[in-house]
Amino acid sequence: MRKWWILAAAVLALTPVFAQKTITIKAWTIGPDDPSITRLKNLEAAVDRLNALLAIEGADYRVKLEGDFDTTDWDPYLRRVLLAFQSGSAPDIVQASAAPLIGVWATAGYIAPIGDEVSRYGTFKDVFPTLWNAVTFKGQIFGTPQDTEARPLYFNKTLLKKLGWSDAKIAELPKMIEKGEFTWDDLLATAEEALKKGVIERGKGYYHRPKNGPDFLMWYRAFGGTAYDPASGKLVFDKAAALRYFTWLKKAVDAGVLEKDRLDGNWKRFHQNVTDGKVLFFSGGTWNWAEWKSQWVKDRGGESWLWQHFGFALQPAYEKGGRPVTLSNPQAYMVSSASKHKALAAKILAFVAMPDLDARHAVGSGHLPVLQATASLTENRFIRAVSYMLNYTTFQPQHPDLPKWQNALYRGVSAVESGQVTPEQAVSVVATEMKRTLKDQVMIK
Amino acid sequence: MRRYLTPFLFLGPASLLILLFFFTPVVATLLLSFTDLATTTFRHPSWVGLANYRDLFADPFLKKILANTARYVGLTLAFNVGMGLLLALVTSLVPENWGDPFRALWLLPRILPPVVYVFIWQGMLAEAPMGLVSDLLGVSKNWLVETPWVAVILANGFVGASFGMLIFTSAIRAIPRELFYAAAVDGATTLQTIRRVVIPMLAWPILFVTAYQTLSLLTSFEYILLLTDGGPGFYGTEVWSLHAYHLALSNYFGNVEFGLGAAMAAVLVVIGVVVSLFYLKIFNFRALVTEPKIEV
Repeated sequence: MRKWWILAAAVLALTPVFAQKTITIKAWTIGPDDPSITRLKNLEAAVDRLNALLAIEGADYRVKLEGDFDTTDWDPYLRRVLLAFQSGSAPDIVQASAAPLIGVWATAGYIAPIGDEVSRYGTFKDVFPTLWNAVTFKGQIFGTPQDTEARPLYFNKTLLKKLGWSDAKIAELPKMIEKGEFTWDDLLATAEEALKKGVIERGKGYYHRPKNGPDFLMWYRAFGGTAYDPASGKLVFDKAAALRYFTWLKKAVDAGVLEKDRLDGNWKRFHQNVTDGKVLFFSGGTWNWAEWKSQWVKDRGGESWLWQHFGFALQPAYEKGGRPVTLSNPQAYMVSSASKHKALAAKILAFVAMPDLDARHAVGSGHLPVLQATASLTENRFIRAVSYMLNYTTFQPQHPDLPKWQNALYRGVSAVESGQVTPEQAVSVVATEMKRTLKDQVMIK
Repeated sequence: MRRYLTPFLFLGPASLLILLFFFTPVVATLLLSFTDLATTTFRHPSWVGLANYRDLFADPFLKKILANTARYVGLTLAFNVGMGLLLALVTSLVPENWGDPFRALWLLPRILPPVVYVFIWQGMLAEAPMGLVSDLLGVSKNWLVETPWVAVILANGFVGASFGMLIFTSAIRAIPRELFYAAAVDGATTLQTIRRVVIPMLAWPILFVTAYQTLSLLTSFEYILLLTDGGPGFYGTEVWSLHAYHLALSNYFGNVEFGLGAAMAAVLVVIGVVVSLFYLKIFNFRALVTEPKIEV
């Protein structure tokens, strides 16, 4: 009889433990660059902190994070996310580029508006106010900013020195670009000179990314183009600006400064040639700095090698005195509308928006912080040095049909570079293509 | 009624499979191609009739993609069938203990996972000091972007040739020995024997390999996707099926157009059917399915 009592007491004592629920939250994140793993690690840290708090509060549940970090590429990742959305098996939290994916996914109804949750948590108040624009679609907040960046024009200091530039002149270059004194044409002339003097090999005067991406929109802007008309909410294609951009590309290819097959889809080749010190000017992202440091020049001194050999500036203006640009493509965490734990997912996001985690990601991956407090926390030299670029930054317009606009522009770029059409023909190809695919959603100027 | 029961029982399972996995997808694709289904309209697609087809044929670069497809299928097919035949003949002419290992060697590209296989190609074609081809030729170039078609056709051909090789080898082995003896008695040279005895007996396998490979080349794009992704430059090696894939399942910015992709796939189905009928015609299919004149 006594045994029964003991057993009953034991069961009663253990009940709270067994009654404690575990809620599993699934989160999918992507770099694709390796150092950006903190996009996932920070979520894990946030869940740990949340669980610690839940334990103190004596809550009857704990959170388990089933996370995934993708290092393949955007294309397969977005396909995976899309198929998950469509089959109703999407993770609770998805990280992706705020624009235009928030526009696309919100239009499709895959992600939930979380404005109410955002206003509930104080941690979000410290986010740079402009970043909320990037996650807002049709007046509603659909995500929380995860990081941002800038896309600099890098230059190889060693090659410039070989070309006869003094240290002072090299150090002055970013300032000259900022003031609009060093334009795309000056870049071309410098690279041509380097080619003639044998400082660089053919085609390695200027490198841009090897495949489609938001940067082409940025260069179109650098040549004076606008992509969006806020008044009508429609996309815009400025033929004159596109012609300036395409003409420059054509001149660069003809001069032997730019490879005619630069769009070879091969990132490895891009990084290899750049970090082998063969390329004079190259447009990249701030996160490339972290990639080069930890993957490409690790054995040669890491970051100190980079400081010694590479410099960075804004993307130049196209005319003297013009305004240089860069583009930021902020990342955002979004909550799936199919999630059963939307409030909890948003709570985790509030726990991620902490300066220490923000700083850890920014420093580790070469991105820029999203919290104002972080900026004062970090002593990182690179982040401090590139921060001024945010004053010149632009975003991608949050239009669900932006992908079609981008694809058409990219078609034009690839047609001009490969020499298949003239810049004038390419402009009309792009305009026709945009009219065909975007119909009344584009204004051709 | 009973009369039909046995054939029905025999044909039923296969017909059901064909209906489920071949016929239904075709109908589904056709239906999809009449809608504007895309990422943004997935929850509420609307019927757009022939709009996708109109869009497709209004694309000024359709010609280039069609020409690429013809080039890819034609040249790869020629390599596959020609090389397959050559390999089958050569390995059948030499003693078996020489022929078998040689054939096994040619199967290697087929048993390698495509991604690994393509990595090897990319490595071989890279610039010096990594690239084997650059090292051997003494000219450091990225051969994949320099000669993309050669790379695409050879990478596919090395995989495809082994298919013809196996089919042709077994067909050659099935030819009755007596025919070779008779040819030898008549004083035929090796080349004459091949031309007058072997090739005519291979008409059926050649039709099969050609038709099968044409259809599979029309729809397969994984090696091109991995090698060049349709590049370099402006639709350099973009073929029809890859273009459909790019439109329907792949988009850097995340808005994919299933309706348009389905329309492209539907066009591919039509091309496939037309090509198959053409083959049946030129190989005189009716004659091939009549009772054999010799016992095989």
